[in-house]
Amino acid sequence: MINLIDELKVIPGIVGACIVSTEGLQATNLPAMFKPERLSLVGNHLLALSASGRNSFSDLTDMTLNYDESVVVARELIEGTILFAICDPTFNYNLLTMSFNLLQEEFKGGNFSASTVAAPVVTEPVAAPPTPPSEAKISAPLQDLLDDLKRLLSKILGPMAGFVFDDVVEEWQAQGAAGFSRIEDLISGINREIDDQEKIDHYRSLIAPLLKSFQKG
Amino acid sequence: MATAKDFVSRVDQIDGVAGCLLIKENGASLGQTLDDVDTYTSLLLNSVELSNEVMEKTGFSYCRHISFQRSNDENFYIFPIRNYLLGVLLDADCSEPVMLEQVAQLINRVSVGGP
Repeated sequence: MINLIDELKVIPGIVGACIVSTEGLQATNLPAMFKPERLSLVGNHLLALSASGRNSFSDLTDMTLNYDESVVVARELIEGTILFAICDPTFNYNLLTMSFNLLQEEFKGGNFSASTVAAPVVTEPVAAPPTPPSEAKISAPLQDLLDDLKRLLSKILGPMAGFVFDDVVEEWQAQGAAGFSRIEDLISGINREIDDQEKIDHYRSLIAPLLKSFQKG
Repeated sequence: MATAKDFVSRVDQIDGVAGCLLIKENGASLGQTLDDVDTYTSLLLNSVELSNEVMEKTGFSYCRHISFQRSNDENFYIFPIRNYLLGVLLDADCSEPVMLEQVAQLINRVSVGGP
């Protein structure tokens, strides 16, 4: 069964798309750095924006939010269900809206619910074992190192780096003692989020001197 | 740019602009060429607040503008300018790239205090 939002991602300049209803996140093919819980909140804000827009314009079709780095294009497919795409600034708006039209028709025809919505991507997070306070505590020197790693990650991931880094650190702390002996586990987690070997190598080259210096004390 | 009303007047003269309004972040109106100012003011304030929420959740850094596309092509744009919000209603036949460039030029003049 064809996943309809995957067809949007084929359009040049489209980073990915997402569908959120009042019941939560229904489907997404955005990169992993866009966490499901945040996408769900974004969807809720866009639903509120759509309601506000319809209050002024009964013939509202789409909404576009132009940010410095990206453009968010959103359409309320049916009442309480919003589709939005995150795009590079150079994306082709006409092509995207044509695809939105097709997807909306499929959605209203029930074809979409048979494919993607039937398998919502939101899952309950696996509960991590409770971490003793002593394990969760990060020493001041290590915290300084983490701050530097976070700062350098922004050279790779841009403005999302802070969110990504904090999430990975949180998971890392939940999995064991927050010490330098486990720093490679943390970096592996960051690498998974970067998800691009060239960028991973670049990040490693940026942080390598810091790791070496920390090791030497 | 001498006054807010002068700025509104210049925006209103751009080809394809059907009307506009300028408000402060607290909702105070500084000038308008549109009717139903209260409805538009409410839309501007709500939209910018929600856009900021989206920006925070996605990690984006700055909102240039928000637009509402309509089936009659009379689209509506919102431009956050420091502590002010500019709303612009377009004619159906407006060339949006040209309008955007001209509004950006006017905003830039206001922001840098140019002529």
